[in-house]
Amino acid sequence: MFKTSHERIAAAIQGQWSERPPFALITSLYGARLTGCETQKYYRSSERYAEGQKAVVRLTDPDILTGPFALPLEAEAFGCELVFLSDNPPNIRKPAIRSIADVSALEPPDIDSAPSIVYMRESIRRLVQDLGHEKPICGVITSPVDLPALILGIDLWIETLISDEPLAQDLLAMTSGYFVSYANALFRDGASFLAIPSLFTHPSILFPDHVHRIILPTLHRAFKAVSGPIVFHHGGNPLVPYLQKYMDLPNVAGFALDHRDDLDRARSILGPGRLILGNLNGPTLSSLPLDRILGRVDGILENRADDLRFIFLTAAADIPFNTPVETLKAIAERIRSWQRKGQT
Amino acid sequence: MTLKNTQDHLLNAILSGSRKEAIAILDRWAGHCGYRQTISELLEPVLETIGTLWVSEKISLAAGYLAGKIAEDTLLKAHEHEQAVPEIRGPVVLGNVEDDYHSLGRKLVGIFLKTAGWRVIDLGNDVPSESFVDAAVKNEARVIAVSAMMFSTAKNIAGIRNELDRRGLHGRIKLAVGGAVFRIRPELVAEVGGDGTAVNAMATPALIDRLWREADVQNIP
Repeated sequence: MFKTSHERIAAAIQGQWSERPPFALITSLYGARLTGCETQKYYRSSERYAEGQKAVVRLTDPDILTGPFALPLEAEAFGCELVFLSDNPPNIRKPAIRSIADVSALEPPDIDSAPSIVYMRESIRRLVQDLGHEKPICGVITSPVDLPALILGIDLWIETLISDEPLAQDLLAMTSGYFVSYANALFRDGASFLAIPSLFTHPSILFPDHVHRIILPTLHRAFKAVSGPIVFHHGGNPLVPYLQKYMDLPNVAGFALDHRDDLDRARSILGPGRLILGNLNGPTLSSLPLDRILGRVDGILENRADDLRFIFLTAAADIPFNTPVETLKAIAERIRSWQRKGQT
Repeated sequence: MTLKNTQDHLLNAILSGSRKEAIAILDRWAGHCGYRQTISELLEPVLETIGTLWVSEKISLAAGYLAGKIAEDTLLKAHEHEQAVPEIRGPVVLGNVEDDYHSLGRKLVGIFLKTAGWRVIDLGNDVPSESFVDAAVKNEARVIAVSAMMFSTAKNIAGIRNELDRRGLHGRIKLAVGGAVFRIRPELVAEVGGDGTAVNAMATPALIDRLWREADVQNIP
């Protein structure tokens, strides 16, 4: 019987038996709801963020906590304008630049002084200081190949890749340099691992030729320079059809899968050594009946009963603000009370 | 080169990401018969094929984007050469729902609607429900097409439905909804009060055409 989340996660990493899989729910946003904190304050004050996550611990007692899941804050550090919504993480109102001609003028933010980066780093440090002895803390950061889409907007990034490949390569070199600095800073701040949502690595988004020739080599170089373990997050699209392409990326300890992904298929592709995280659909928890949600929870747990390198995680974006508290509590209780067979 | 061969070359050029080649093929064809005819006999069938491939997830968003930009470019040339594709239908009011700032899908929808001959009134991002309905009433549009990328913002579409119903316009002005989230959760179309959705931007003209015909214009005051 494992007593702490650290022990349970360590067992999963090493493929050792534990009485149940570790679990985490994507409740970065939900902490604001639990503490009644306005999102504009929550995503600006690391103190308020940490208070929110402590409330999450009191409600669900997960095995992992995450730093702010608010990738647009990174885009803000590059010059994008944000909009703060009352029940969602911040979003990008205006990209940093409007035309390809301005791309070469972009500069990476200083990770020690850019306010939104400082907020993210302080949030990690606070979580590590206040809760790190109990639980691993995960930083969530933008992939260097997704950053251009945030900074420029999706259309201008696709346009740049199609019409000016050398410029696209220059931009990726810049975002990669920033990414490596920021990722390694988060490890120095105490993060146990990093989750990296990756949408613009997907052949359903970009031309496959661009993915193979430009995107994956860029990601390979960047991940290689990161000084800790990475969880490759599906980013909103099913990952299994393309999982093979990402298997050789350095430092990737596990893959967080989409709710539509087949976990058995994922395991057969990945082999026994990698972590699989997934795959309850988080954004739907506010609208589905509880018995249906718990049925899905049971299904996932039974499906992965013999998979010692499995971590139960909600897929996709944050669990919605208006999800009933009872729903999250019931999910957490159902996972905690589930018993893996095979050892006493 | 036959029309079928040229269509195949154009399709391959777009799917391989070669904009220059695609534009050169269209320009060469237009040199013989003009841009308007090029759009109808060469470009539109290719767009239809791309739309089918997109639905079956055999091509990327980037290919859809490139197809849209090439269509826009060709449409512009048709206008420049005074062979404009006449706006024979519409107007359609288009916009991203309140709080939504993901403009790519909306822009592509606008391009494909214009290519199909629709007049489009594009209200942009983050449009309040009242503004959609005001614009539709003012311009006598029978369809409002609203885009939302995420679940959290898609829920705001219900505000447009409520506003239409509140003004007694239910059935008279149809509500088309679209965006990535509706592909993942088709049941959301009914939940937010939509009258229909399209699987991608290229399929939107057919949807708008259907909704336009279904709109009950008999009882408009």
